[in-house]
Amino acid sequence: MSPMKLCVPGDKLCSTEDCIPGTGVYLRHGYIYSSLAGYVLRKNEGEELPVISVVRETETQLLPDVGAIVTCKVTSINPRFAKVHILYVGSTPLKDRFRGTIRKEDVRATEKDKVETYKSFRPGDIVLAKVISLGDVQSNYLLTTAENELGVVVAHSEAGAQMVPISWCEMQCPRTHAKEFRKVARVQPEYLQA
Amino acid sequence: MSFNVSAKQKRKTKFKPVYTTHYSRVNPHNKTVFAAVMLKSKTFVKKTRSGGVMKIVREHYLRDDIWCGSEVCSECKQESTVLQRDACIESNLCPFPHYLVPDTNVVLHQIDVLEDPVIRNVIILQTVMQEVRHRSAPVYKRLKDLIHDKEKHFYTFTNEHHRETFIEREPGESANDRNDRAIRVAAKWYSQHLKTPEAEAEGLRVVLITNDQGNKAKAEESGLLVYRCEEYIKSLIANPELVDRLALSNNEQNEISSSKVLFPEHLPLSRIQAGIKSGTFLQGTFRASRDNYLEATVFVQGEGEDSTEIILQGLQNLNRAVHQDVVAVQLLPRDQWVAPSSVVLQDDGVPKDDETNEEEDGRRKRICVEEHMKPTGKVVGIIKRNWRPFCGMLNVSQIKESTRHLFTPADRRIPRIRIETRQASTLAGQRIMVAIDGWPKHSRYPNGHFVRSLGSAGDKETETEVLLLEHDVPHQAFSQAVLSFLPKMPWTITPEDMVKREDLRQLTVCSVDPPGCTDIDDALHCRELDNGNFEVGVHIADVSHFIRPGNALDKEAANRGTTVYLCGRRIDMVPELLSSNLCSLRSNVERMAFSCIWEMNHNAEILKTRFTKSVINSKASLTYAEAQMRIDDTSMNDDITKSLRGLNKLAKILKRRRIENGALTLSSLEVRFHIDSETHDPIDLQTKELMETNSMVEEFMLLANISVAQKIYDEFSECALLRKHPAPPPSNYDILIKAAKSKGLEIHTDSAKALADSLDVAKVDGFSYFNTLLRILATRCMMQAVYFCSGMDSDFHHYGLASSIYTHFTSPIRRYSDIIVHRLLAVAIGADSTYPDLMDKHKQSALCNNLNYRHKMAQYAQRASVAFHTQLFFKNRGILNEEGFILFVRKNAIIVLIPKFGLEGTVFFDGKGKTGVNLRFDEEVPSLTVEQHTFHMFDKVNVTISLDDSNIQHQKIRMALLEPVIPGVSVPAPEVEPQPKKPKLDR
Amino acid sequence: MAGLELLSDQGYRLDGRKATELRKVQARMGVFSQADGSAYIEQGNTKALAVVYGPHEVRGSRSRTLHDRAVINCQYSMATFSTAERKRRPHGDRKSAEMSLHLKQTFEAAVMTQLYPRSQIDIYVKILQSDGGNYSVCVNAATLAVIDAGIPMRDYVCACTVGFVDETPLADLCYAEEGGGGSSLALALLPRGGQIALLQMDAMTACKGVSKVLDEVVRQHLQDVSVLTRE
Repeated sequence: MSPMKLCVPGDKLCSTEDCIPGTGVYLRHGYIYSSLAGYVLRKNEGEELPVISVVRETETQLLPDVGAIVTCKVTSINPRFAKVHILYVGSTPLKDRFRGTIRKEDVRATEKDKVETYKSFRPGDIVLAKVISLGDVQSNYLLTTAENELGVVVAHSEAGAQMVPISWCEMQCPRTHAKEFRKVARVQPEYLQA
Repeated sequence: MSFNVSAKQKRKTKFKPVYTTHYSRVNPHNKTVFAAVMLKSKTFVKKTRSGGVMKIVREHYLRDDIWCGSEVCSECKQESTVLQRDACIESNLCPFPHYLVPDTNVVLHQIDVLEDPVIRNVIILQTVMQEVRHRSAPVYKRLKDLIHDKEKHFYTFTNEHHRETFIEREPGESANDRNDRAIRVAAKWYSQHLKTPEAEAEGLRVVLITNDQGNKAKAEESGLLVYRCEEYIKSLIANPELVDRLALSNNEQNEISSSKVLFPEHLPLSRIQAGIKSGTFLQGTFRASRDNYLEATVFVQGEGEDSTEIILQGLQNLNRAVHQDVVAVQLLPRDQWVAPSSVVLQDDGVPKDDETNEEEDGRRKRICVEEHMKPTGKVVGIIKRNWRPFCGMLNVSQIKESTRHLFTPADRRIPRIRIETRQASTLAGQRIMVAIDGWPKHSRYPNGHFVRSLGSAGDKETETEVLLLEHDVPHQAFSQAVLSFLPKMPWTITPEDMVKREDLRQLTVCSVDPPGCTDIDDALHCRELDNGNFEVGVHIADVSHFIRPGNALDKEAANRGTTVYLCGRRIDMVPELLSSNLCSLRSNVERMAFSCIWEMNHNAEILKTRFTKSVINSKASLTYAEAQMRIDDTSMNDDITKSLRGLNKLAKILKRRRIENGALTLSSLEVRFHIDSETHDPIDLQTKELMETNSMVEEFMLLANISVAQKIYDEFSECALLRKHPAPPPSNYDILIKAAKSKGLEIHTDSAKALADSLDVAKVDGFSYFNTLLRILATRCMMQAVYFCSGMDSDFHHYGLASSIYTHFTSPIRRYSDIIVHRLLAVAIGADSTYPDLMDKHKQSALCNNLNYRHKMAQYAQRASVAFHTQLFFKNRGILNEEGFILFVRKNAIIVLIPKFGLEGTVFFDGKGKTGVNLRFDEEVPSLTVEQHTFHMFDKVNVTISLDDSNIQHQKIRMALLEPVIPGVSVPAPEVEPQPKKPKLDR
Repeated sequence: MAGLELLSDQGYRLDGRKATELRKVQARMGVFSQADGSAYIEQGNTKALAVVYGPHEVRGSRSRTLHDRAVINCQYSMATFSTAERKRRPHGDRKSAEMSLHLKQTFEAAVMTQLYPRSQIDIYVKILQSDGGNYSVCVNAATLAVIDAGIPMRDYVCACTVGFVDETPLADLCYAEEGGGGSSLALALLPRGGQIALLQMDAMTACKGVSKVLDEVVRQHLQDVSVLTRE
């Protein structure tokens, strides 16, 4: 790593022949320019050219992007879709809540016609989902849980206790032992600690 | 630039103050000097228009890079210095070299002294500049001219922005006191600053000049070298004449006059304002009467049309107001109202003691006629003095040793002024200028000081100078600031100029002007096109190319307004380089022009009009006579002649059409002097004769003016500068109708057309001059044509030319109005860009007022110049015997026109030495019966002409009746008995 | 009384600056923790506060959403106490609306909006004290706030006004100079690229002067501002 250097937007950092653009920079006429005020970071990742990026102390604002894994909270459900608030993109918390929709047919990959939303999510559930589209004029972010790793990660029973997943489609209340239907995610090890 | 932000910086909830030092780049071109600047803020309270109070905060930067401007200083990094090393002036107070630092009042009151070439090396502080600017615009302008004059070595020190000389107003300190202190601080700074070894060696000191006792005492306390202005000037032993130019300060006035209070006290401004608001006082311009020094009128401008005139009578009521002052008047009760007196009273030229004069005033009773009573009032205060330096002559005191003398201004409306001078014997018989300093309430006359001498009275140069000054014609040489905007010589038309202009160099353009004309502003061409039509072009000097809006040159031209032509002298509106060279469309040189090009058919009907900036190369500069000769000489058939013939042909058609439309052909006699080439004295008088070519040029100029007027009005309906000639009110024609009736003719005045027609047919057999006389009379009935801004007026009609719209476009070298019109037209055709003042109808209207004023004054000056030259002409000729016609009949006199000289004179039948003449005046006819003989208008008379020089200040031509012989009235023919000139009182 | 003399013969302006000198500039970033980015700037006696929120979901009417980039929403306002004469400034008067629009155009040119499709960035600028050059001070304040918010920009924007008196261009006009007649020109620039983000000219001056004004003063002194603002 080269010594810390500061830059402001519009600073010319280097030529594209010297570095690969990373975050906080942009390309113009074969040169890499900073688009943020922050520290210039060069990282050699084993490849022939270092990656150059500009970082700030605080994380920059991220927006959910297509393909991003987001953590969201279900706000309401109806037979056709569930409405959610996106809280995290990857492991970065969002400062603002973005609204998203998980349509009935996007809940799981198989037997799409048999999905019933109230058997998949309940308001208040914390769900891992993936952005499939930024939406159109009528709707906001379209999300999907149609993967094994996606779905409900935290849910509370009617009694108020946090439930434990027992299968890919059921969770159980540790207090009342009542079972409730959910589209449960198989949580990846790296998320477990969070 | 390095960043000092630590990498471990916390969250941004904490403020991160970023301190920046303000750096100024002093010299962006070669080296970069950085000077630290300190910031102060200036707060003051201002009253808004609506009466509210507003607090205004302004920044005030203090700097380290303001230099002292002295040659001896090595500390300051200045590029050029103004103040000299050896600032020596012979003074017995300050035998060492020194710089002067005058305070505001010294500059304001003693600007005449400062202007003397002897006074050099003066430091003008910014504080002083600002105060002067605030208090007197004319003095400010003069001060600026002084500063620009390199010979004078006047340096402006920007003390208010200097870190070490800026001071803040202390609590309880008045603004004036603060400024006085600022001046002292700056003077102190200078004296410290110049204490360098080098300056010490020279013995250089700084001398503060102030007339304020308190200021002087404080300055002395702080160790400054300080003198009163009088003290200092009197110490200049080598230049005693400077003392006379000193304005009298207040303390000296007390010594002069007796302690008797002659006038009521003027009210303070605050009370005047309150009075005006409540309606007890009226504000107006004071106009002294020309004929009666004890009477004046105050013109009170009311709302709209509602303005009144108030009569003031008696010294007490006039209360020290001087002609043109803005005064506050209080109306007297109705029973004290008077009628304007018809008596001619002159403050006699013989100096007398104040006392006797006073008694005399008291004895003069006014006669009032009940029905003619007018509002009468008295002056209670002066709102604004409008004093200027006055021309006139000195009445040398009869006491030989006296240094106090009375000065009689040439303008009768100005009171006599008391001045103090030791050079009375030299100044006697000279025309001098005197400025008024003040008029204390116990002095019969205002006190003034001698400004300068114009030369001996009766001298040609002197008299010309006087008439220029008295007619307020700016005629000083152009200042350096103005000249700096002239193009650098040698000047050529650059390729860039060519790109923007149409190349008309190949056209056969020629100019036709009076002989000896060097400021040629118009040229013409005419050629036949392939389609059989004519192309006619009027090319006008492109003065607006050289005079850019808003610079000093432009401002000077706008102020002058017009070139003034006097006999044998021309006072240019723009510097000579432009008027006689770069703008003058001389032959065989390339010149820039603004062209107006028409396509016309053979009936002189305009088919197409276009305007363009162009480059022309005139092929010939002709005089009217030369052009006429070419047209008439059938053997000549070159391009120029053909072009002239074409123009002449079209012009005749144009003229005929114009006259059919009702344009007036008026007549006034213009005389031309044949001036002796050596002595420059007039040796012969001749009336100007008109040729066909005169009218040819005129027709096309009129056509161009009308075309341009239409174009700029179409483009800028709100701010076009136009010229109108209002129709005269019908009563103006009374005299004309009566005069014609006396010869059995009828003149119709319903319209311009009717007037023109009836003038055409008004002829009397065997009296060929009658028609001309009638036209001269008709001219006198007309109104003055004026410039105006189209957005401010709705009546555009030009009566004399019978045109619905008119402007001046064709003489930009000698008229400023034309420059504005050029600019408007240039914007209209996209050849130039506009600027705010051009589009501001109020500013333009103000400009029009100035132009109208200058034109009027120029005309008066011109007439005065002709009159003076006529006097010169008659001076050496003794008494002449000439034939003339009666132009007007008055109550006690007839006005006689001598066609041979274009001269008009009055033959009085009363006056001193002619008492008891039986006069009967019939206003209806009008006729005047003297004893047995009755005079009618247009009667032929013989008169003697002689110069009456009994009053050197007001010389005039005197006429006396020779024929018809009326015993006791007419004079015998001069051949028979050479008449000794009767000394006659002026008027 | 004659009008103010904007430029003395000695080349000093009313407040003692030379023709090409800027006023004293002071700035702080991050003055307002609530917002995503904020900045406060003083340019002489003109003081402005800029606050940036976002990018966040488009608020208000959904139809404003842009699919390929973020919407920039600017709001300019003047505090009631900002001028010597206190007057109520109803929100959204014509002058403010115009100024808001100008700010929006300026920042659309600078912010890399394509990085945040379907979102909105709010920039609020308030003039706390007005002493001329409101527009340029707003731009400068807003730039700092955007930088503070960490929103990527092609280049920072900076702006300056310039007037024209006696054929001399005057940089960074104060209120008295703006009111003194003549023309004033406001220019916002992306200094590194030398691109003009916004150019606005008031008054009816000669258009010929513009290029002179641009070249001689604005470019050079925008560089100065940029040097100052990054410190």
